[in-house]
Amino acid sequence: MNNAQLLLDNLPLLIPLVILEFGLMIAAVVHVLKHPQYRFGNKVLWLVIVIFFQIIGPVFYFMFGRGETA
Amino acid sequence: MITIAFIKKEIMETWRTRKILILVIVFFIFGILNPLTAKLTPELLKMSLKTTIPFPDPTSLDSWLQFYKNISQMGLYLFAIIFSGTMSHELAKGSLTNLLTKGLQRRVVIFSKGFVLFGQWLLSIGLCFIVTLGYTHYYFPDNKSPHIWLALWPLFIFGLLLVSLLLFTSTMINNNFGGLLGTVIVMIIFNLINLYKGAVNYNPISLVSKNLTIVKDDTKFFDLWPSMCITVGLAIGLLYLTVKLFDRKKL
Repeated sequence: MNNAQLLLDNLPLLIPLVILEFGLMIAAVVHVLKHPQYRFGNKVLWLVIVIFFQIIGPVFYFMFGRGETA
Repeated sequence: MITIAFIKKEIMETWRTRKILILVIVFFIFGILNPLTAKLTPELLKMSLKTTIPFPDPTSLDSWLQFYKNISQMGLYLFAIIFSGTMSHELAKGSLTNLLTKGLQRRVVIFSKGFVLFGQWLLSIGLCFIVTLGYTHYYFPDNKSPHIWLALWPLFIFGLLLVSLLLFTSTMINNNFGGLLGTVIVMIIFNLINLYKGAVNYNPISLVSKNLTIVKDDTKFFDLWPSMCITVGLAIGLLYLTVKLFDRKKL
């Protein structure tokens, strides 16, 4: 099976996956940029965590990183 | 009556803090990842090893293997991360003080929190299961995994223990990481107990690690009876301890 066909075959899986993962990431990135008060860490740290650690990063940010006035 | 009101408050809170939204997204992603990983693993092996040895085609069993692996190795801890500070957060903010001094029974707080938490555990596992089920039917229409519904029950029962553990540790430790820490420590202890082979059927962790054998063979379900009883017993015990601990806690 060549690569193109492999991709085409898995599209029903890949499209929702990419949408959800990017959605979560972008929501977290927007939140990091708009609310510059964090419980700990700074903007750059949280951006790196949120962008490079898929799924875990954004969840970790929303639970532990974001400030009280959410 | 007051319990229902407090349950409503909990549901509103999980909605306002977007916790429920994060749960839904994360467990939906897991649901998609399971069949995808099952499908791509042989292809990736082929590409990276560059061999011509034929790999066996993935079956529905591989997809369910991924499901139980993801839930027990990732989902469980993500749930713990999300609800790690469920009690300690409120205690730190002092948002309960007003209600409790006006006569709200303390155990009502624990029970309604536990109820809503368990509901969310059912929701997340159920969602992940349904997504995996749909894709697995679509991609692997075989009948190699006949007992998928039965294998799901131990996961639900384990949720009882997880919820009471989260409540207990986050009441005990005044820190947002308390619940997560407690869960990790208890999972390590359970894993250590499993080194002793005779304890496997009594160990609560078997409820999240032995599911695939149930998928293949439903008689294995009944081997896990002792472990289910112990899990429920532990959960009730922990809940009782939490109520006692919270009664003595200064606000």
